[in-house]
Amino acid sequence: MSKSDKNTLSGLVVSQAMRRQIIKLNKDASISNSINAIIKYKINALLAVDDSDNPVGVLSKTDIMGAYYAGIPIESSIADIMSQPPLFCYPNDALESALQIMRSKGVYRLYVVDSNNSKVVGALAYPDIVGLLYQYCCDCEYSHIQQTKRSNPATIKRTLVKEIMTNEVKSVFNDDTLSYVMEELSIYRFGAILVKNRENIPVGVISKTDLTLAYKHGVDSLALADTIMSSPIQSCKPDDILEDAIKKMIFSDVHRLFVEGSSPNELVGVFSLSDAARNRSGSCHACVSSRIKLEA
Amino acid sequence: MKITAKDIMSRTFHTLTPQTPINEAVRLFKEASREEGRKIFGMMVLNSNGELAGMISMYDILLFMRPKHTHIWGNMDDIDVAGIVETACLRTTSVLVGDIMTPEVISVTPDTHILMILDIMIKKHVRRLPVIEDKEIKGIVYISDLFYNILDRFTT
Repeated sequence: MSKSDKNTLSGLVVSQAMRRQIIKLNKDASISNSINAIIKYKINALLAVDDSDNPVGVLSKTDIMGAYYAGIPIESSIADIMSQPPLFCYPNDALESALQIMRSKGVYRLYVVDSNNSKVVGALAYPDIVGLLYQYCCDCEYSHIQQTKRSNPATIKRTLVKEIMTNEVKSVFNDDTLSYVMEELSIYRFGAILVKNRENIPVGVISKTDLTLAYKHGVDSLALADTIMSSPIQSCKPDDILEDAIKKMIFSDVHRLFVEGSSPNELVGVFSLSDAARNRSGSCHACVSSRIKLEA
Repeated sequence: MKITAKDIMSRTFHTLTPQTPINEAVRLFKEASREEGRKIFGMMVLNSNGELAGMISMYDILLFMRPKHTHIWGNMDDIDVAGIVETACLRTTSVLVGDIMTPEVISVTPDTHILMILDIMIKKHVRRLPVIEDKEIKGIVYISDLFYNILDRFTT
């Protein structure tokens, strides 16, 4: 994509933001084998196809977590647990309209089909959109990263993490069962949840990836949270510039940062890549005009 | 004379199990390279019955290590996020060989003709093929051995 192609974000079409590498598996593949693809390619979902390569469903980490929770044998085929049908958009659709479909249908990705031959040519997901927005900000002469290279940087009001973070942090205890953790994730539609010990000190995070791996490794769903949680907790400060927080997430492959209060043991908010994609596009107040308006 | 897999395969090979942690696998790759006197870039993974469960290559491991949004990096003058490499490495500690191996593996038999092997390697983009007879692993054919076997016919 040349720089002149992206003067404004609102003029963008799906083909500029989509990921062209499509990870797909036959619907008869086992859940166990699908986990290998999901872990290796760091994807949240893959496309299930039939024997003629037609898309028939989408298998997400959420579906896999559901199978783990329900005690479905891991050698079952993905057709048994996938969501169907897949939802589609076209390469020339405006990015805004694709985002609108994602929001109204409550999904995190759409598959992109070629309007001529109805072949799947890409996938559009929130993290990729944030990546594109980040790239856009980096190229902008008013961005924090460009301005800090100057001798007399302009004073521009930057969007801060605290302005868009979610102010409530749900958590589970380290001696709660994985089964309970999955219920909580499912109720609140989170990708991950904070784990605290009984002294209320944050000790780790359990994501759907951690649960997917636990399923693969044959961990009992009644095992305790601290047997599979990830630590240390990836965090940022409420007054951090949004641009820096997004950078930290996309470079470290994490989908959320917890926001520290007065001490690292006091977490006051959480901020995810999906929040960044859904609620705001630009990372400073210099380009209000080019911001995608998505607030309902 | 018909030249088949059994004529060019290596009968000594090292294997991993699905339960081997990735960081341990990296150590075993080095060890196997030392013991076999050749660079080992991929190994067979055997289940507890000694049957082939999959293959894992260094490429699979690197694919897992690669941050997802590398397409953005091309525009970046400086990637200065503290501890970025350490974060990528830390992730490997909870992942096992069985999680990122290729589970559906193509194999050949000791009697598979080398030109058939060549065809499979080219079409499927693989550089090593397990040689199996009655579920038992007899050896492994490396693309380099295939190459030298064919090349030697020109030079002698």
